[in-house]
Amino acid sequence: MSFYATPSQQRHLRACMVCAVVQPHTKFVREGCPNCENVLQLAGNTDAIEECTSQVFEGLMSIGNPTVSWVARWQRLDNYVAGTYAAKVTGILPEYIISSLEDSGIKFVPRDGSMDHDEAQDA
Amino acid sequence: MSNFLNHDYGSEEEDDDFNPAPVDDSDAEDSKPQKRRPSAEAAGNDMKYNRGSAQDDDDAKNDDEEEEEEEEEDNGNEDDEDEDEEEEDDEQAVERPRKRRRGGVHSFFEEEAGVDEEEDEAEDEEDELAEFGTEMHPDDLDALPAGAETDDRRHRQLDRQRELDATMDAEKQAQMLKERYGRNRAAAADALVVPKRLLLPSVNDPSIWGCRCKPGKEREVVYSIQKRMEERPANSRNPIRLISAFERGNIMQGWFYCEARRQSDVTDALEGIAFYYPSQKMTLVPVKEMPDLLRVSKSEELMPGGWVRIKRGPYQGDLAQIEEVETNGLMVTVRLVPRLDYGMNDDNAAVPAADSKRKRTAASKNKPPQRLFSEAEAKKKHSKFLSAASGLGGKSWNYLNETYVDGFLIKDMRVQHLITKDVDPRLEEVTMFARGGEDGVANLDLASLAETLKNSTAEDSYQPGDPVEVYRGEQQGLVGRTVSTRRDIVSLQVTEGELAGQTIDAPVRTLRKRFREGDHVKVIHGSRFLNELGMVVQVKDDTVTILSDMSMQEITVFSKDLRLSAETAQDGQVGIHDVHDLVQLDAATVACVIKVDRESLRVLDQNGSVRDVLPSQIANQIPSRRDAVATDRNGAEIRNGDTVREVLGEQRNGKILHIYRSFLFLHNKAQTENAGISVVRTTNVVTVSARGGRVGGPDLTKMNPALARQNPMGGPGSMQPPQRGGRDRLPGQTVSVRSGRYKGLVGIVRSADSDSAQVELYSINKPVHLPRDILVPKDPVSKRTLDIGGRPASRVPSYSGPGSQGSSAWQGSRTPMAMADSSRTPAWSGAPSRTPAWQGMIGARTPAWKNESGRTPNPAYAEGNRTAYGNLGGRTPAWHSGNRTPRDPSAGHDAFASGSRTPAWNAPGSRTPAWSGGMTHHRDQRDFDDAPTPGGNYSAPTPDGFGAPTPGASAPTPSGWADSAPTPGGAYSAPTPGAMPKRGGYDAPTPAAYDAPTPAMGVPATPGAGYGDDDGGPRYDDGTPSP
Repeated sequence: MSFYATPSQQRHLRACMVCAVVQPHTKFVREGCPNCENVLQLAGNTDAIEECTSQVFEGLMSIGNPTVSWVARWQRLDNYVAGTYAAKVTGILPEYIISSLEDSGIKFVPRDGSMDHDEAQDA
Repeated sequence: MSNFLNHDYGSEEEDDDFNPAPVDDSDAEDSKPQKRRPSAEAAGNDMKYNRGSAQDDDDAKNDDEEEEEEEEEDNGNEDDEDEDEEEEDDEQAVERPRKRRRGGVHSFFEEEAGVDEEEDEAEDEEDELAEFGTEMHPDDLDALPAGAETDDRRHRQLDRQRELDATMDAEKQAQMLKERYGRNRAAAADALVVPKRLLLPSVNDPSIWGCRCKPGKEREVVYSIQKRMEERPANSRNPIRLISAFERGNIMQGWFYCEARRQSDVTDALEGIAFYYPSQKMTLVPVKEMPDLLRVSKSEELMPGGWVRIKRGPYQGDLAQIEEVETNGLMVTVRLVPRLDYGMNDDNAAVPAADSKRKRTAASKNKPPQRLFSEAEAKKKHSKFLSAASGLGGKSWNYLNETYVDGFLIKDMRVQHLITKDVDPRLEEVTMFARGGEDGVANLDLASLAETLKNSTAEDSYQPGDPVEVYRGEQQGLVGRTVSTRRDIVSLQVTEGELAGQTIDAPVRTLRKRFREGDHVKVIHGSRFLNELGMVVQVKDDTVTILSDMSMQEITVFSKDLRLSAETAQDGQVGIHDVHDLVQLDAATVACVIKVDRESLRVLDQNGSVRDVLPSQIANQIPSRRDAVATDRNGAEIRNGDTVREVLGEQRNGKILHIYRSFLFLHNKAQTENAGISVVRTTNVVTVSARGGRVGGPDLTKMNPALARQNPMGGPGSMQPPQRGGRDRLPGQTVSVRSGRYKGLVGIVRSADSDSAQVELYSINKPVHLPRDILVPKDPVSKRTLDIGGRPASRVPSYSGPGSQGSSAWQGSRTPMAMADSSRTPAWSGAPSRTPAWQGMIGARTPAWKNESGRTPNPAYAEGNRTAYGNLGGRTPAWHSGNRTPRDPSAGHDAFASGSRTPAWNAPGSRTPAWSGGMTHHRDQRDFDDAPTPGGNYSAPTPDGFGAPTPGASAPTPSGWADSAPTPGGAYSAPTPGAMPKRGGYDAPTPAAYDAPTPAMGVPATPGAGYGDDDGGPRYDDGTPSP
């Protein structure tokens, strides 16, 4: 399971709005999201991929060892698989996805920077 | 699991705080590694685990040592490279310090029974504490009796253990539930969100190094690293020890960051990575700044009604209003003011296909202006692309696959193709979007505009001394003056209220400038009113209405764009144009500037109409010619500075400011309107007084044809065609470069000014600037060198007088003055009354087709002088203007079309010899008709036309004539003898014989009757101006 994307694939990258994993669109179709597949069920579901992933993202990060990495911890990726992630994913998850996430016990943290802003203000 | 750990982590830290006893300190040290082990297990990181157990022995031995080392590391002593190297082996162990003390079997049990492990550890702790106890608490030992001391400690430990057990029970339950129901890691991970401040990096975390790479290639570098990490995993022979790598794109261009324990890990990992710059030293990111590296700021939330700009495409840079945002926030429907030409410029596409690419780029450069969609215009040429759609409410059109509603273009765009930051919409841009209301401004949602602008407030908007007001936030209502600004924080000194005199800081977005009615202000930003000065007449929230000093108009701008100003307004100048300057508006129009506004000029043109023009509409400024001369009604010479009076009409009088062809621009100080300027014709004025007491009356020497003939080379300087003053003939020419870097290359002139020209070379697909004097005009087809300078000695007989006929003819017919005045050129004036045909002959005889479109002049030359006509045809500007469809063979305008490609077509045809020729020689209509041939010759697309040696003029097949009556090309469709049988009579093959066919043609072939032989359309007879 390689996360490497060839330059030609790099044009079709998408980032999962839940876990920020970055993969080519084809890989989302084929394998789904490596972290949130059981909730989002993206594999083979192009519509769901459109809804739950975004091609607008910034700050690519390649996480080799999520458990050790502070970067992964800070980005709340420490329980995800090693791979490529985005620092910021722009896009809005549909309401029903968020509620289904919550039903599965996941507190959805938006990855579009809005959380950071709030916290920065709190601090 | 990890998340309870994190949680635990926090709470334990708190415990530490609450128990300041030194014993707890040592506990805390233990507790950290404790937490880590389960987390590693939870993540199933076998690799780590293996390594850990393999090194158990080492760990046990070096227990104390490692502790020290760890502390060292904690203190950031990595600089000590020697030590680092020595301890390399140990360091790996440090990651998992001291925890792997037990043997392999034991660890198996640990895994199987996590709770037991905790208990064991608790016991361990006790043991440790017991061991260390005496060492660590000498004070306690001294101070307390032995029994009491140990009891106390036991108590506390018991408490701690119970606490631990209690939490572990809950954890265990949760764990079980999760294992049973929640199979997803995400669920486990995010069920409880740890506040970011608890995630802040510590010295124990890996370090981050910033490395340089080629700007723009950050992402590729990260992917290369990713690839390498996958190729060389941790258990491989030569593992990559990078923990992570990331980039921040545009925020930190040319940088990427690597997270690793040691710098050497980074260096190893990056060896040979493409685009990485190893020569530039990598920098260690201080722990404090690490969160900043990963800070993301939320992009502007796009809301319907907000403003964005388009990043690329034909609407690049245009302001757009958001109509709708799709729920995923990635697709946006925007409203744009269309830029359409409705196919009006498609004629240009008639050039060969090879040019199509260049054409497109050229076209993209000059975008059509923004205008609301007009279905009427679209129907003109593009009705096939237009279809009405039944919209709800407004009319909606579908044109070229785009939707237009209420005149606006409605377009779906991706967010990444929009500029959402620093949009800074200008008021006049926004007013275009004001929907349908009678007064657009009223309809304008200034509030939403202000909101957009808020975030784009330029840093320099606030300058020290500006009166400001805090209008939102806690400090709302404070009024003060800015003292200093730094980034988006403004320090202001409060001037009113309780806080008066204090200096406070406020973010820019909570501030607005404060003005009062009557303040004199200057516009310093953002709108087309830039630099306008005026007085504030109304302040409403963010918007300030000021009365401009200059235009006395009320303008509304945002307060942030204003500054107090003590300056007083002065008349602006638009570029180089000044009042009373003479400017060229288009080929046929000149005008005198009568008012200079900020962005526009008011001019009085030669026809006496006043209009406002933009500087961009001015082709060039006509330099004042001191020696310009004209004759008044009585034939008296008049010059600049003379005072003249109009004899008819309003009897205006004034001093001559400019002489332009037959128009005089007079200046009369007593007249207030139009800045004292009026325009009259030379033929309507009489001299009142000549400047410098010149003797009035006509200068007979110049009018005497005999004298002029003695000097057939056009002796009087005034007869030379003006080198400037008309349109520049160079643009559009095919030229070759005579010297320099591009020597020998051929291209097309895009634009030109007085000494340089922008040339698009055929071979290099980019425009280059070249001095004019190294450009040689070429015929685009034959590549022969052309002379477009208006001095074609041999070709313009009437002019340079190779034929005595020509010169005498025109001299006889016209006064030199009139000749010099190029306004008489048919092309220039454009009025049919000025066509040579007319002048040269009786108007009634002009065939219908001639009148059609100012093509008339051509025919004239044919007869006048064979030598000249090819050439002359080319020189007539009328050709040019008449030809709108140069390459459309079906239109039958071939002759003209080709005419347009005639090298000389844009030569200054002002002096068409045709004229003179016409006067003297034209005997018959037919002859005139013949004339267009030359135009055909030059660029006749069919080879046979080219090669045909017969002077077509003399032998038009009568049969061909009719159909092509409007198309001269058709008229000469039968230049070869083969065509003749029909009529059989027109075989005058040489120019010398030009007289011969005249009668014959005239008689049998009425213009409408028989010329239209379409098949011959493109065939032209010989047009070479051979003799």
